[in-house]
Amino acid sequence: MNIKVITGVLVVAGLLLAKASMFIVTEGNQAIITEFGAPVGEPISSSGLYFKTPFIQEIRYVDKRILNWDGYPSEIPTKDKKYIKVDTTARWRIVDVLKFIQTVRNEIGAKARLDAILDATTRDIISNNNLVEAVRNSNAILDKIEEAKKAAEELKKRGEIAIEEEIIGEVEKIELGREKLSELIVVEADKELIKFGIKLIDVQLRRISYEKSVEKKVYERMISERQKVAQKIKSIGLGERSKIEGRTQRELKQIESESYRTAQTILGKADAESTALFARALSNGKDFYEFQRSLEAYRKTFSNKIKLLISNESSFLKYLNKPK
Amino acid sequence: MSLNRNPNTPDFSKFASEFKNNIKILAVVLGVVFIILFATSSFYTVEPDEEAVVIRLGKFVQTNPPGLHFKLPLGIDRVVKVQTKRVLQEEFGFRTTSVSSRRSTYDQGSFDAESLMLTGDLNVADVEWVVQYQISDPFKFLFQTSDPITNVRDVTESIMRRVVGDRTVNEVLTTGRREIAIQARDLVQEVLDRYDIGINIVTVKLQDVNPPDMVKPSFNEVNEAKQEQEKVINQAERAYNQIIPEAKGKAEQMITQAEGRALEIINRAQGDIAKFSAVLREYRKAPDITRSRLYLETMEEVFSKLDNIYVVDPNIKGVLPMYNSLIQDRKE
Repeated sequence: MNIKVITGVLVVAGLLLAKASMFIVTEGNQAIITEFGAPVGEPISSSGLYFKTPFIQEIRYVDKRILNWDGYPSEIPTKDKKYIKVDTTARWRIVDVLKFIQTVRNEIGAKARLDAILDATTRDIISNNNLVEAVRNSNAILDKIEEAKKAAEELKKRGEIAIEEEIIGEVEKIELGREKLSELIVVEADKELIKFGIKLIDVQLRRISYEKSVEKKVYERMISERQKVAQKIKSIGLGERSKIEGRTQRELKQIESESYRTAQTILGKADAESTALFARALSNGKDFYEFQRSLEAYRKTFSNKIKLLISNESSFLKYLNKPK
Repeated sequence: MSLNRNPNTPDFSKFASEFKNNIKILAVVLGVVFIILFATSSFYTVEPDEEAVVIRLGKFVQTNPPGLHFKLPLGIDRVVKVQTKRVLQEEFGFRTTSVSSRRSTYDQGSFDAESLMLTGDLNVADVEWVVQYQISDPFKFLFQTSDPITNVRDVTESIMRRVVGDRTVNEVLTTGRREIAIQARDLVQEVLDRYDIGINIVTVKLQDVNPPDMVKPSFNEVNEAKQEQEKVINQAERAYNQIIPEAKGKAEQMITQAEGRALEIINRAQGDIAKFSAVLREYRKAPDITRSRLYLETMEEVFSKLDNIYVVDPNIKGVLPMYNSLIQDRKE
């Protein structure tokens, strides 16, 4: 009986001992062994089952995965004195477990450091650059504007309607661009974070927006510029209308005058031909033609309204005076 | 404890035998329960749209496809199921609240902070979009980052602003949509691959892209201006199409009329000439008498039409008064 009890106790004790001397590091975690608080050996970074001295050694776990940091949106003036709200996020990971545990203890402690360091670095970098550097990433937009201008000129050359959608707002050349700014923030912040066993993976400028009062001004500018464009489009329309109307008048005059010219030429030719015909035919009987044509003319022109004075020596009356 | 264990009391032997019996029953019950637990915790099913990640004593072993699978019980094997076949979606600038009714409903709240972004010409555009993605590697999805969905959201927002930031507001609102979506997809994938996050971006789709509410009316003004421009040009072209063909018709008419007139002139001339020639031929046979006849006939006809004929003898003086009265007559 006693033996049984003793074995039972021994088994339980053995199990407890086994449990106390084994530990599991799961995927996504890393661990460090401490002995009365002092770290022992290298940190364990790969997962699996491990052994330790029971009761004396303790295990501290920290995350191995990429962790997120979400910054509080802060208002920062840029180098060109524009007030913007910048909302950043970052990804980081614990690379030195020992340093991490010693300096910040845990993720909550780390967050406080990240808040302070990243906020300050972001402020520095953003306020040392113009707003466009944080908005654009390349100067591709300039090429595009150039292209659009050329295309519009092409169209104009061909006489088609080209509404140049003028670039509204400001487009200046950038030196760095968004990605470069992010990288700069990472490089700067990393210098300090390494002290805490933290490495930044990246910083993303998640949101950049105008500060409320600036926003209103930007909207007002957008409105006035749109109105300008609308006006321009309308007047281009009116211009086109005048062009078409002008063309209409020109073509009309051309058609009318050309047809007049053709008609007159045709008539002239006919007249010339008839004149030639008459001349040829009449030259044989010039005397008779004159005589006959005169008679015909008298017949046509005289009417009862005419009062005629006639000399008695007229050949018509030659028998009136002298019957012989 | 020692009081109850007095070996000499008969109660004890009774108790001991009962205890032995009870222990046997307990052992059987425990054994059954154990076996049931063992059996149920040794198998698991993976649904058709899932894959299962097996973790043995904290360490990743393998990924299992859909079907029935065996695992080591008692927490030795841990299984995490991940929906890898599903296309998942994240929304930006709006939220779908329900798709169960015939028409999807959307959250009426404002997500301006998410959707308002600066364009390359420092204007503002309101862009709504969705990202569809699939979990391509369940193990990496689970253990590479602490919060993969947040990463997808953060990176997508940042990239969308970068892509929109490299374009003018006009391009964003009109022609750039397709290009923006494609470029955003590629860039997001590039960044996520850098994290080795186990996510495959299927597509980025732009939804509503608008100017900010306050600016909208002026954008409409531009559209109206475009329509007005078209209208004005169309009107002018209509007038052109009305005037020119008519003028062309008239011109043709004028020319055909001239041609007709020309024919007439020539035909008349030829007719006149034929007539004249015929008469002339006869006249030549007896010119004097024909001449006299024609003259007299004509004079007869002409003079008979007249109401007043005055015969004057130039040799007689004093005709003048009568002549004067004649002139006066005409004045009246």
